[in-house]
Amino acid sequence: MNNKPSLWKQTMNKVRTWARMNSIGAIHFNSGSCNGCDIEILATLTPRYDVERFGIKLHGSPRHADVLLVTGPVTRQARERLIRTYEQMPEPKFVISVGACSISGGVFDGCYNVGGSVDEVIPVDVFVPGCPPRPEAIIDGIIQLLGQLQGGAPRPVAKPKMTGEVSS
Amino acid sequence: MNTLTSIVTLLIFPAGITLILAGMFYEWIDRKLVARFQNRVGPRWFQPFADAVKLLAKEQIKPAIINPYLFFGLPIFALAGALTAALYVPLFGLAPPHSLTGDLVITIYLLSLPTMCIGLAGWNTTSRFSLIGATRTLTQLFAYEAPFLLALLGPALVAGSWQISEINGYAQNHWLILTQPIGFIVAVIGLMGKLELPPFDAPEAETEIIAGALTEYSGRGLMMFHLAKSAELVIGLTLVSSFYLGGLNGIGSFLIKTIILLFFMSILQSLLTRLRIDQTVGLWWRFGAILVLAQILVTILWKGFMP
Repeated sequence: MNNKPSLWKQTMNKVRTWARMNSIGAIHFNSGSCNGCDIEILATLTPRYDVERFGIKLHGSPRHADVLLVTGPVTRQARERLIRTYEQMPEPKFVISVGACSISGGVFDGCYNVGGSVDEVIPVDVFVPGCPPRPEAIIDGIIQLLGQLQGGAPRPVAKPKMTGEVSS
Repeated sequence: MNTLTSIVTLLIFPAGITLILAGMFYEWIDRKLVARFQNRVGPRWFQPFADAVKLLAKEQIKPAIINPYLFFGLPIFALAGALTAALYVPLFGLAPPHSLTGDLVITIYLLSLPTMCIGLAGWNTTSRFSLIGATRTLTQLFAYEAPFLLALLGPALVAGSWQISEINGYAQNHWLILTQPIGFIVAVIGLMGKLELPPFDAPEAETEIIAGALTEYSGRGLMMFHLAKSAELVIGLTLVSSFYLGGLNGIGSFLIKTIILLFFMSILQSLLTRLRIDQTVGLWWRFGAILVLAQILVTILWKGFMP
């Protein structure tokens, strides 16, 4: 009869989106980074920038997290671990790829041990460029993710092209 | 009519929804105070509520090698235990809805139910981190439970009753923090251990063992454990402040006394670093239990010789 969802469902969706936008559990994964971006992520969590006022909190367990912050190019060994960490997170889950190397492979592109960028392995919602990106840039990336959440943008898909993986 | 009153008491006021909302409010105060002590701005006032709604809307992953009845049942038992304990304490400064002789013992048992459930949940999920977390949770349970009980026994001895409402009535005329300072300190520290707040957060030390016993929990189950913890926070604050801080006889005195107590607890949280699990156990059994036993001895002698 009507294509629009009922008022109850609309309200529930609004409440759900509001809660998701105001409470973000992040988890940090280093897939082969030089530690520069990791230090900047840690700096983002310090009292200087205090992301807890936006509701962002770093969790240890992927089961408790909503947002996966990936730094660095994906090395052949880290690839399976990255996929496993991503699959351990409960839906809805989002990925932010932090730093130049995680976007394109950076200076490590073409190395014998590097498989490629993060979006060739798992779907990435937001890219944060920089070498390393400043904490302000990382916070801005999270804000852009929130904008996507609010607008209901379509979810990205991974573009797999890496072959010949190493099983350890 | 009687059934209806019981249902309203259990589910809406003062246990149930009101207690859960109060628990979120107290959790926010705690996080905000700790943030201010660390020179941060801290979370916004609706943060615990947004966290709970977000977890409610998330997927709940069921690990492969577990007992599903325990996995889904334990969070419900934890929350139910905490909410039932609220029926026997003077929550919001009102008279407790149910009161019977010896309800102090019932309340203490019900308050340790969430911790037991967290320990069982960690054992059930068979992840190595949750196993270590469960072991530490249960070890800590054995450490703090006896000194905490002894610290609450002191006021009960002086008041000559095991009934919380009678002890509360007695405490309104006698500030027991002045006559039993050791008991008060042990009770506050025992409460911090019960809630696994720093420095007693070895069971969920996220820098060592991911998230302790609840590592494998996501979504609804995690939310229920968190709500049980914050309900326990309110009930524990109510118990300690009604026993030691001159009783609770109204919503005003409830708010003032519990928030002052929470303020001191958050100072301790920001000041002290995490203790190892063996240090935690040693602290309680070597100092807490002995000191509180000495105080109880003094109380008994005082009551015996000076009637």
